[in-house]
Amino acid sequence: MSQKISRRNFLKLATAGAATTAVLTGCGPASRYVTREPYTKMPEYTYNGLSTYYATTCRECAAGCGLIVRTMQGRAIKVEGNPANPINLGKTCARGQATLHGLYNPDRVEFPIKQGRSAALGTTAMKWEEAFQIVADAMNNANASEIAFLLGTASDHLFDLITDFTTAIGAPAPVRFGALSMFESRATLSQAAENLLGEAGLPFFDLANSDLVVSFGSNFLETWLSPVAYTRGFAKMRRGNTQKRGYLIQFESQMSQTAAKADEWIPVLPGTEGLIALALGRLVAEAKGGSTPRAFASVNVEEVSAKSGVSLEQLEHIAGLIAQAQAPLAVPGGQALGQSNGLSTAEAVLALNALADNYGKPGGVFISPLSPNEDAYHRPASAKEMADFIATLKNGSVKTLFIHGVNPLFEIPKPLGFAEALASVPTVISFATFPDETALASDYIFPDHQGLEAWGYQRSATGAMHSVLSGAQPVVSPMHDTRSTADVLIEAARLAGGKFAEALPFTDEVAFIRSKIANLIGRADGSFAAPEINTFASYFQQSGGWWSAAGASASSSAASALGKTIVIDEAAFAGDGEFFFIPFISPTLGEAGANKPWLQELPDPMTTVMWNSWVAMNPETAHHLGVENDDVVKIISEAGEVEVAVYEYPAIHPEVVAMPFGQGHTAYGRFATAKLPQDRFLGLVPHGGLIGDAFQRGANPADVLGAHFNKAGDLAFAGMKVKIEKTGRKQYLSRLESRIGVYGEGFPEEK
Amino acid sequence: MTVDLNLVGAKGAIAEAAEGKWGMTIDQDICTGCQACVAACAMENNVAFVGEEDAGYGRTQHWIRIERFWDGEYPHVKATPFQPMLCQQCGHAPCEPVCPVFATPHSPAEDLNLQVYNRCVGTRYCANNCPFQVRSFNWRDYHIIPELGNMVNGTLVFPLHNQLNPDVTVRRRGVMEKCTFCIQRIHHAQDTAKSEGREVEDGEFTTACAQACPASAITFGRVDHPESLVSQMAHQERGVKHLEELNTLPRVTYLKEG
Repeated sequence: MSQKISRRNFLKLATAGAATTAVLTGCGPASRYVTREPYTKMPEYTYNGLSTYYATTCRECAAGCGLIVRTMQGRAIKVEGNPANPINLGKTCARGQATLHGLYNPDRVEFPIKQGRSAALGTTAMKWEEAFQIVADAMNNANASEIAFLLGTASDHLFDLITDFTTAIGAPAPVRFGALSMFESRATLSQAAENLLGEAGLPFFDLANSDLVVSFGSNFLETWLSPVAYTRGFAKMRRGNTQKRGYLIQFESQMSQTAAKADEWIPVLPGTEGLIALALGRLVAEAKGGSTPRAFASVNVEEVSAKSGVSLEQLEHIAGLIAQAQAPLAVPGGQALGQSNGLSTAEAVLALNALADNYGKPGGVFISPLSPNEDAYHRPASAKEMADFIATLKNGSVKTLFIHGVNPLFEIPKPLGFAEALASVPTVISFATFPDETALASDYIFPDHQGLEAWGYQRSATGAMHSVLSGAQPVVSPMHDTRSTADVLIEAARLAGGKFAEALPFTDEVAFIRSKIANLIGRADGSFAAPEINTFASYFQQSGGWWSAAGASASSSAASALGKTIVIDEAAFAGDGEFFFIPFISPTLGEAGANKPWLQELPDPMTTVMWNSWVAMNPETAHHLGVENDDVVKIISEAGEVEVAVYEYPAIHPEVVAMPFGQGHTAYGRFATAKLPQDRFLGLVPHGGLIGDAFQRGANPADVLGAHFNKAGDLAFAGMKVKIEKTGRKQYLSRLESRIGVYGEGFPEEK
Repeated sequence: MTVDLNLVGAKGAIAEAAEGKWGMTIDQDICTGCQACVAACAMENNVAFVGEEDAGYGRTQHWIRIERFWDGEYPHVKATPFQPMLCQQCGHAPCEPVCPVFATPHSPAEDLNLQVYNRCVGTRYCANNCPFQVRSFNWRDYHIIPELGNMVNGTLVFPLHNQLNPDVTVRRRGVMEKCTFCIQRIHHAQDTAKSEGREVEDGEFTTACAQACPASAITFGRVDHPESLVSQMAHQERGVKHLEELNTLPRVTYLKEG
C-alpha cells in the first residue's frame, strides 16, 4: 500500500489493470470507507504532501458526469472531471466544483432526528437502531399499497433498489421528480420522439458536428439535460471544424445565457416557437424545391410572422441559411416546451430535423442509447404524473411516505397542493442530507450521506453516444452520523422480516450495487472487461464506471415524420395580467445549489446578480411601470404572488418578464436563507420577512406558478400571464457589473 | 536576452524579448460564461466568499471573473462575448513598482507577478494601479466569520475549512491577493519532472480554470515554446491582448469572436 498515485498514474492504472492500491474493494461495512484521520496520524497510503485521487460521480444533477476527487489525509480538497468518462471528458460545471461545499456544509443533518414537523430542525439525536425499527414498523403496519416513495433524479442505484423492493412487495412504484426535470420537459421530448419517430427515448442533439444550430428556447449551455456535454458540443460546433465556423440562432423571448452566445438572437412572443419551426420548414422546403411535406403544408407564413413578431425577411433569411447549411440542426427546449402547446412545438422542431434528413447522422439527432443496465428509458415523473401522485396522498391511501433527494415543498407549484397532501399522510420519513423545507415538515429525518461519501451509480440519460453507467464510491469517510438510505432500507427490511427481508436479500448497499453491475461481467465491448465480480467491481470503482467502447449508433428512420400533420394550437396563458411570466432555472444555482456559499457568490452570467433573486424586465417596460433597478415589485398571478427586485434587462421582449428559479428558500441552511447579519444589505431587512429564525433569501417563482400542463403532461411553466404592482420599497441587488449602491452612488436623492 | 535601452526601437525589442514564460489563451468565441472557472479557481486557491453585502460593495474576492457588456438597444441588443478577466501576469506590470514593501515583485524564475502575503501591508496601491482591476483586497477575515462556524462543545468549528487546499495560503484580513496562474501546480509539475529527470511536458498540468472549463476555452502553457499548444493558439489571427496600448505586456491572449 505504498505506491504513489498521481492522477495521471491513477488513470494509467485503471486502464493497465495493475489494480487496487488505494482502491476500496467493498468487502464489507468495516472496510468500506477511507478513514478521516487527524493530520498527525495518517493512513499508511498517504504521504506528506501527496494526494490520493478517487473516481466517483457527481450528484448535483442527474447528468452523471464522472469526477476525480483529490483528497489529502482523508479530506476532499478539489473536484476535477474524470477525463475518461464520455459524458464530461474531464470537465465539470460550477455546480460540480461546489459539491465540496455540500459535503462540508455547516448545515448538514448530522444524525437521525425525530423532527415532528416542527419549524426548526430538531436537535436531539436518535439512535440508528430506533430509526431502523421505525422504518421496519412503517413497512409492517401498513398494507403494501399504503407505502409510497418519492425520489429525486439522483442516484439511480437507490431508484433501482426501491423499484425492486416495491415490485417484490406489491407496493406502488417509486415516483421520481425534481425541479430540473420539471423545467427540462423530459416527458414532452420523449413523447414527441415517440409520436414522430415511433421510438420513445430522449433525443440527443449532436451539436459538435453541425454547422448551423437553430435553437427554439433551448438552454443547452446552462442546465439542460447534460450541460457539460452540450457545452463541449457547442464549442466543437463553433471551432472544431477548421473549414467553417458553426453558426447558432436562438429564438427566445428573453436573451438567456445560451442566447447570448448565439450569432443571432431573435426575440419572439412566448408560445409561437412551434409556428416559427413550421414556417421555417415550409420556407426551407420551398427553397429546396419539390413538394412541401404534409407536416408544413398547413402553415401560413405571413400569419406566423404577424403572431410571433419575427419579420418575414428574417424568416426567409434564416430559412435560406438552413437550406444552404451542410448539417443544420434544430433543438427544442426550455420555455418553448413549457407552454400549453409544448408537445406540438417539439414535434414541429423534430420535423424540421426530419426535413434536414439528419436523423442518425453526424450533426443530427439520435435517440440517446440506453445505459448498460437499463431495460427502457425511465424518465422522471412529469408534473401531471406528480399531480396524480399528490392526489393519492391527499385521499388518504398512503400511510407512510418516504422522501429522498427531492424538496417538493420548495420545487412544486403551490396549486398542486403538496403541502396539504403532506399534512394528510400519517407518517412522513425524510432521508434528506440537508434541512430543507420538506425535511422540516417530516416526522423523521434519517439523513443520507452526501454524494461524495456515498456508493452508487448513475445512468447517463443523454450526453454521449456511448452507453454509460457512471459509478460512485465514497472519497471520504462520512463527516457525520449519517447512513446510506439503501443500507437503512436493507436493514429495516431485515428487521421487518417476511416478504420484506426476501425482497432485499443483500448484506449491504455494496452487495446490491454489485448485483446490478454483474450483467456487465464478460462483456468485451466496454471500457474494460473482467472475468469475475471482484475484479470487475474494483475496475468499476477505479475508472468511475463502465461505458461501451464503440459509440452506439441508435439511428432512427424519420421518413414518416414528414408525412404527419402537425397542428400548433394557440398557446393558452393562464391569468389575466398584461405580462408573460417566464421562470427559468438559475444557471449557477440549479435546483438545489442555494445552500452552497460559493454558488451563491457566483454572479449570474447575464445579470451578474449574486446571492439574490430578480425579475428581468425591459427598461422600456420598467419606465412604463414607473420602476427602476432595485425597486421591489409584486408579481401577481392567478396562483399567488411574490415580491422581488427589478433588474432592467435590455435583452427581453417588452411584454415578457423573467425570473430565475433557485432562491426563495425559507429553510435549507444559513446560506440558502439570509441568516447572516451582514447579509442584510445596507441595513435593510430582506422583504421576505422573518421565518422561524431565518430570513427568506430572494423569492421563489414556484409561488406564482399555476397547475397547467401541456399535452405530454409536463408543466406549462411559461404559460402564465401576470400583473405587476409597485411596492414602493427597495432591495439593493448585489451585482458584479456595477458599483451602484456603493458609497451612496446611484441612490435616490434625499428629499 | 538583454536589450540596450539607448537604441532606437528598444521598446519594441523589449516587447519581443518579453514573450514571457507561462501564458494563457482564452477563446471568447466559445466561452459560454458558465462560471465553472470561477468556482474551480475558488476551490483550488482557497478564495473566500464574502456574503451578500460585501459582494454588493464590490469586495468579492474572485481571482477570475466573467465580464459581459451590453451593446445596442432592444431589439438589436447584443451581449458582448463573455470575457473572463484575471491577472494578466504583465511583463511590465503597473502594480509592481508602486508597492512600498515589495510585496508584489516579479519572479525572474517563472516570469510571473508574485504576491507575497506576509509582506503585504495593505496599502492597496497595486490594486489602484492595475488597469485590469483584477486584484482583490481582504477587507475582513472572511474565512473565520463566526456565523460560518458551528458551536461544538463550546468550541467554534468551521466545517468548510476541511476543504481548504493545503498547498495554498489562507489569506487574512488586510492583504491583497490575485490570480497566481496556480503557481502551486507549476511547482508541483516542475518538482515531479525534476525528480524524474525530465522537462515539464506541454499539457502535463494546467490551471484549475482551464482544467474545469467545459468548453475548453482556456489553454495554459509555455508561451516561449513555439510548439506548445498555447503558443499556437496565441499566434492565431484572432489573438488580441487587452489594453495593449499601455504596453504592460500581458501574458493572456484573448481570441476574438468570428
